[in-house]
Amino acid sequence: MTEPTALILYGLLVLLTLLLQATGALTQLGMGYLLGSRDEQRSVEGIAGRLERALHNSIHAMVLFAPAVLLIIVTESSTNQTQLAATAFLISRVIYLPSYAFGIVGLRSLAWTVGFFCTALLYFLAL
Amino acid sequence: MGAELTILVYAALLQVLQFAVMSVFANRELGTKVTLAPRDGVSLSEQLSPRTGRLYRALNNHFEGLILFTIAVMAVHLSERSSPFTVACASTYLSARILYVPAYAFGWTPWRSIIWFAGFAATVAMLLAVLV
Repeated sequence: MTEPTALILYGLLVLLTLLLQATGALTQLGMGYLLGSRDEQRSVEGIAGRLERALHNSIHAMVLFAPAVLLIIVTESSTNQTQLAATAFLISRVIYLPSYAFGIVGLRSLAWTVGFFCTALLYFLAL
Repeated sequence: MGAELTILVYAALLQVLQFAVMSVFANRELGTKVTLAPRDGVSLSEQLSPRTGRLYRALNNHFEGLILFTIAVMAVHLSERSSPFTVACASTYLSARILYVPAYAFGWTPWRSIIWFAGFAATVAMLLAVLV
């Protein structure tokens, strides 16, 4: 898979995470609170809370992954290694989402770690 | 690779390093049983020691800095507006973000805020350099 394809699919995964998180928040907090100005802080529990934390983490992962892909595109430095790293990143993040949502201890951290190292690898390869 | 692009790579690697340092302290303080758990109903960041809490906030702050800096670097590069000025801005950003970590960790008040502002202003200057 090319790096731009991985970025596009990861963008869609983050959007999916957002939709799932919003559904969870809607179920627990109600439409009235979500449409309001949320001056009083309320938190969600269980799977909705885990989806919320997964979403925040996915956005942080995007902040590091997107520049790496853009750098590879503009410097035209794509190689088999960078494509493999981008693909492995996407797969690890696909595994990360359900493993956080269902609280699978160990798998979530493993998936996160693989994604993090793939991102770091992309920067080292870009140099 | 253009100088700004290289600096972006170093800024991202700084974030990788910031994460690694924060993570080592956090895992030593909370234990892997807590950090590996799904964190239901507990805030890990609130359980950290004051210094590790600062490293955590410095990490989160740099995520936000990187969002704008990536846009600035890509805008400069793609519009072919790279100049000694934009390279100086990017260098200022990276230097400020490196200094920001000890400034936060050791509580250098008000220097942390001044250092943060230098990085922010450098990013804004790069964005404006694309327009003028």
